Amino acid sequence: MKGYIVRFSRRQRIEHFSVMTVFIILSLTGLPQKFFEASWAQALIVGLGGIDRVRWIHRAAGVAFALLTGIHLTTAVGLVLLGRSSLSIVPTRQDFTDAIDQIRYYLGGSEEPARFDKFDYKQKFEYWGLVLGAVIVISTGLVLLFPILTAQFLPGEVIPAAKLAHGNEGLMAFLVVIVWHIYNAHLNPDVFPFDTTIFTGKISLDRLHHEHGREYERLKDEQSPSDPASI
Amino acid sequence: MPCSALFPLVVALIVQTPAAVQPKNEDIETCLACHADKSMSVMLPSGESRGLFVDKGGFTRSVHGGKLGCTDCHTDVTEIPHASKPFKSKREFTIAYYEACKRCHFANYSKTLDSVHYAAIARGDRTAPTCVDCHGAHDITPPNQPRSRISQTCATCHRGVSTVYARSVHGRALIEEKNIDVPACTDCHHSHDIAGPHAPGWRLKSPELCASCHASQSMMKKYGLSTAVMQTYLADFHGMTASLQKQDGTTGPRVTALCIDCHGVHDIAKTKGPGSAQMQKNLVATCQKCHPGATKSFSAAWMSHYEPTLQKAPLVYGVKLMYYVLIPFMIGGLVLQILLHLWRVVVNR
Repeated sequence: MKGYIVRFSRRQRIEHFSVMTVFIILSLTGLPQKFFEASWAQALIVGLGGIDRVRWIHRAAGVAFALLTGIHLTTAVGLVLLGRSSLSIVPTRQDFTDAIDQIRYYLGGSEEPARFDKFDYKQKFEYWGLVLGAVIVISTGLVLLFPILTAQFLPGEVIPAAKLAHGNEGLMAFLVVIVWHIYNAHLNPDVFPFDTTIFTGKISLDRLHHEHGREYERLKDEQSPSDPASI
Repeated sequence: MPCSALFPLVVALIVQTPAAVQPKNEDIETCLACHADKSMSVMLPSGESRGLFVDKGGFTRSVHGGKLGCTDCHTDVTEIPHASKPFKSKREFTIAYYEACKRCHFANYSKTLDSVHYAAIARGDRTAPTCVDCHGAHDITPPNQPRSRISQTCATCHRGVSTVYARSVHGRALIEEKNIDVPACTDCHHSHDIAGPHAPGWRLKSPELCASCHASQSMMKKYGLSTAVMQTYLADFHGMTASLQKQDGTTGPRVTALCIDCHGVHDIAKTKGPGSAQMQKNLVATCQKCHPGATKSFSAAWMSHYEPTLQKAPLVYGVKLMYYVLIPFMIGGLVLQILLHLWRVVVNR
């Protein structure tokens, strides 16, 4: 089966690229602050121009991340309200059954893997994990950026708690990306060495059939000869 | 200064001393034939009268008594009557003898060259101290016996800080309780190579001074104090900033709270027990020194060197515990999924 469909719009590709860039900057400037006692962290901080500069880079990237998240969520809600976007990323009961079926398949309990629609349960988990994580790092980041303002409304204990939550949530996001995202987008034998879909927007019909079987069937049913989405 | 750098100086000193100094007890009597006269003095061009009396008892009881003769230090005196000296004032006379101690005490002499006191003399400040101003001249005795004598010596000039120090937790213990564990002036400032508190790096290095006692398990145990103060400081925003700023070596205005910014310098007080209420009351004001607009609630963000516990800071403790569980659980689960997937891929082949 030849051909491809467009899976991600231009806006989504730009969003992914921007978040990826900002995430790398935030990790590079944030993790050494969390592990500042380690020699690699100190070398990195000195290499980036000292702690004061590292902090300002981190703050600027954090503001950019907050803006990206804000724009993304506003646009998503807006598009859904206008009826120009589906709710395909929202978890459903089906995802739980899919996850159980998939794990049963991994363990040899069934011969067929679960068949997924546009987003499988792993992708939804990662997406919503990122959204929830973003809400936590952005809100705690604002507390740390404006501690005096925060203390006017909230008890002071919120500030050290925010510091702990910010660093740990950041670390967890970093580990999830390193372990889970890098595996699924690069090291997974199905896509190795590089799943280019999020950069080109295109996914081959072969892969679509294999990885998003239910979506594939659905598109085939809906397909008319003049549909520009499939070639 | 590292010990390795001092070592050659010390060796040189030990090797040189016996050769350079021959006891000349006999000439003490020769000199005292005139200098035992209390009324003996010269009038200097400045109008000051310079007494020439030397107290024999003071000298023999001094550390040099029985070891040195007069001309070991007064090397310029070679004939009687002595050649007249060109000094215009008493102070000029004293400063001219700056090098007299160098022959034997070379290591300490060379350390003084790095001190603020020498820098002051070098730029023409006649009031800055030379060796004899702190140690005395003919009546030199060990400067730290008793230990409280150290702060009295510094007080000769530094009256203001000395009074403040005497009222601090350290000063009171030293002076009133004769406690020898507490720092005297020289423990923080050094004795011969006294660096000014405005010297580059001095501020950022100051937590190390506090740590030299307050991170010592054995010493703090004696007084029921916690050694976690240093650790909790370093783990917090201020301490982390201080240690990283020290690392990167850049200069310029470096702003972060060090031990001394909250606890004071010469006026350090107890943080527990009677008298500590004032510090608690002043906490907001202390924060406001750097954080204008800080409220009482803001100062509560500082956990007073406590590790978060369920009782002391339940929210912070809860967050810490949550991630302590969540991160391994989350990453472990994901790794497990990856391994299962890989296993299935292998089985399918």
